[in-house]
Amino acid sequence: MTKISNMPAGWSRRSILKGGTALAAAGLAGLPMMGRAFGQDSTLSFWQFYAPDGDVKPQVEWFVKMVADWNATQAEQVALEYVVGSEYIGGTKLQTSFASGQGPDIFIISPGDFLRYYNGGVLADLTPAIEEAARADFPESVIANRMVDGKIYGVPMEVEPMAFYYSVKAFEDAGLNENDVPQTWDQLLEVGKKLTTTERYGLLFETNPGYYQNFTWYPFMWQGGGEFQTADGKSAFDSPATVQALKLWQDAVNSGAAPRQMLGGGGGDIVANLGSGYCAIQNVGIWGISAMDNNAPDVPYGIFKLPVPAGGKYVTVGGGWAFVANSKGKNPEAAGKFIAWALASMAPDSIQRVVDWCTVAKSDMPPRNSALAAGGEAFNKGKMGIFSKEIHPGTRAEPRVPPEVYKIISDAIQQTQLGGADPQAAATAASQQLDAFLASYSGAPIL
Amino acid sequence: MTEILTSVAGEKPAAVRLTTRRREAIAGYLFILPDALGLLVFIGLPMVLAFGISFFEVDGFGSFKFVGVANYVRMWGDPLFWTTLKTTLVFAVMLVPLLYVTGLGLALLVQRTNRFNTVMRAMFFAPQMVSLVVISLVWQLMVVDKLGVLTRLAAAVGLGSISFLGNPNIALFTVTIAGVWFLMGYYMLIFLGGLQDIPKEYYEAAKIDGASPIASFWYITLPLLRPTSFFVLLISSVAAIAGAQAFDLVYVMTRGGPANSTTLLVTYIYAQAFQYSAFGYAAAMAALLVVLMMVTTVFFFLATRGGRFDNE
Repeated sequence: MTKISNMPAGWSRRSILKGGTALAAAGLAGLPMMGRAFGQDSTLSFWQFYAPDGDVKPQVEWFVKMVADWNATQAEQVALEYVVGSEYIGGTKLQTSFASGQGPDIFIISPGDFLRYYNGGVLADLTPAIEEAARADFPESVIANRMVDGKIYGVPMEVEPMAFYYSVKAFEDAGLNENDVPQTWDQLLEVGKKLTTTERYGLLFETNPGYYQNFTWYPFMWQGGGEFQTADGKSAFDSPATVQALKLWQDAVNSGAAPRQMLGGGGGDIVANLGSGYCAIQNVGIWGISAMDNNAPDVPYGIFKLPVPAGGKYVTVGGGWAFVANSKGKNPEAAGKFIAWALASMAPDSIQRVVDWCTVAKSDMPPRNSALAAGGEAFNKGKMGIFSKEIHPGTRAEPRVPPEVYKIISDAIQQTQLGGADPQAAATAASQQLDAFLASYSGAPIL
Repeated sequence: MTEILTSVAGEKPAAVRLTTRRREAIAGYLFILPDALGLLVFIGLPMVLAFGISFFEVDGFGSFKFVGVANYVRMWGDPLFWTTLKTTLVFAVMLVPLLYVTGLGLALLVQRTNRFNTVMRAMFFAPQMVSLVVISLVWQLMVVDKLGVLTRLAAAVGLGSISFLGNPNIALFTVTIAGVWFLMGYYMLIFLGGLQDIPKEYYEAAKIDGASPIASFWYITLPLLRPTSFFVLLISSVAAIAGAQAFDLVYVMTRGGPANSTTLLVTYIYAQAFQYSAFGYAAAMAALLVVLMMVTTVFFFLATRGGRFDNE
């Protein structure tokens, strides 16, 4: 009988099984070696979303130089590990690394995530590595939300206040000029409507749910005197100030002046929205300056501070990321020393490093008084000058809240802004949820 | 039957000889062993572990605290859980029939083998070759407020200014349509396979008897496609409930918004685990999701008497 087989010549079922078994055995034999290879590495890993594979050259260079300078003089070596921004901020890599006990030795977090990691017990106390003079160099408004019980658990690398950017061309097309820049919420809505065309929105607030949307909404709540919690830890969300802030964003969308959906990376992406002409005014942070200058240099734009409600007081929110060390890492003490050396030492190179980050690598306000002084003119000229003189003085630190609080506030914003819910009803419902949560919360103070 | 040659006293034990049938069976098991091991290690074991975790409060930083059925009780009182469960069921109810109709419709359109249909088949299947993230971004651009191609088209035909992804009342439908567009080529291929199994003689006989094309479809094609339909409905239902592909679409296109209107159970589970560090609660919801999928599967098998159509 003719043997019919679809196997290649020379192959048999037995040979495939043998080969497969050999491969599996080789793979299993190699596992212990892989484990040893990982176990023996004493280099401190530093996870962030800038370098060495980031796409903004000055930022890559800043990180690479910092680590190279440290490694040149210290026994404990540091290695940069780049994680794509979207994965780092909204993905699973950082969280799963900690869940599996393989978290990075050094990493960066925003205030929005501080309590999650602090309450998880993985943030190392950096206080012993930071000299008192350097500690005093950080304004209270900047360092407070990285501290618990007087100890420092994170060193901020930047302060990023929020403001409004506007397209000069859109203003001119609508017959407006810089004297028409809105100073009150009513004017903001009115100008937004004037700037709206069939091809362009007049005004843009973040619409995607997330930590960033909450971050951008807080100052509107604060401007009317609102807070999400009282001094004694109860909900303060059900207040006229909160309701009017929710209503402002709702009115902007309902009037047709603000979109429900954004382009590119969302409300923080100024190039994709204001730069492309999708909107005429956009609520963005200080990073918008370098983004526009680098990626939309031909688009003339202006900046103005957040308008205030009737009877309100100017305040904006300042975000920014901080270096933190893993308390369960390979060498938390060395990691703490590295962070202090990099950003929180009184040595001139440490101060200059902060200046360079905020003026060369990015366009940010410095988190240290000495850096603000050392940066001198760099912080006072052009668009940066508007931030340092007009916008930054009213900056309040981004709140640090546990995820449950974030979600309650986020739902209230989303339901009113896009879901059409009554602002008062949404504030009341959120306040009840907040009270229920705060009554049982036992982690570090919510600020 | 196994044939064993017993050793004769004083002689070396003879080798155990297996029948050809038994050897075939052992070889078969050895061939599926790697896949079975993979399923066990990467699917079975995590499922068992996740079920175990659902009885603990797990913060994702090494802390485990036994809480009994507290995570399941929490589900009962979590309004967002019920909202996402409802959204998931609505998504499944929209997605499954749409996939069935479009998959079968496309298969009928391109079932004849010629050069044009070959090109069309490749085009309909092409979305499967592209990352779902890219597809989500493209769809996002097509429906963006004011400027999207579909948004302009809607305005041009008098539907006004529609926010396809920004309006909570239609965002889920938009995501569903994007999902159908992505998946319909795959189901088209499955239906093509089913159509090719139907003997041509049946159609010829029906034609001679004067049956119209609609009658042929109704009395020949549909009944004989029952095994394929069973497979398509089962797989697409489980996929819709599990939210496998939908997760990518939602994550990129809407992030669960606006106002939670596109938050599926699977995206809520993801958020609880990786954004809120509530791994135990996420595991409890995942366990319920598995039960939902099992119930769906059992329903399909019961409704079709075990999914067997060969004796009809």
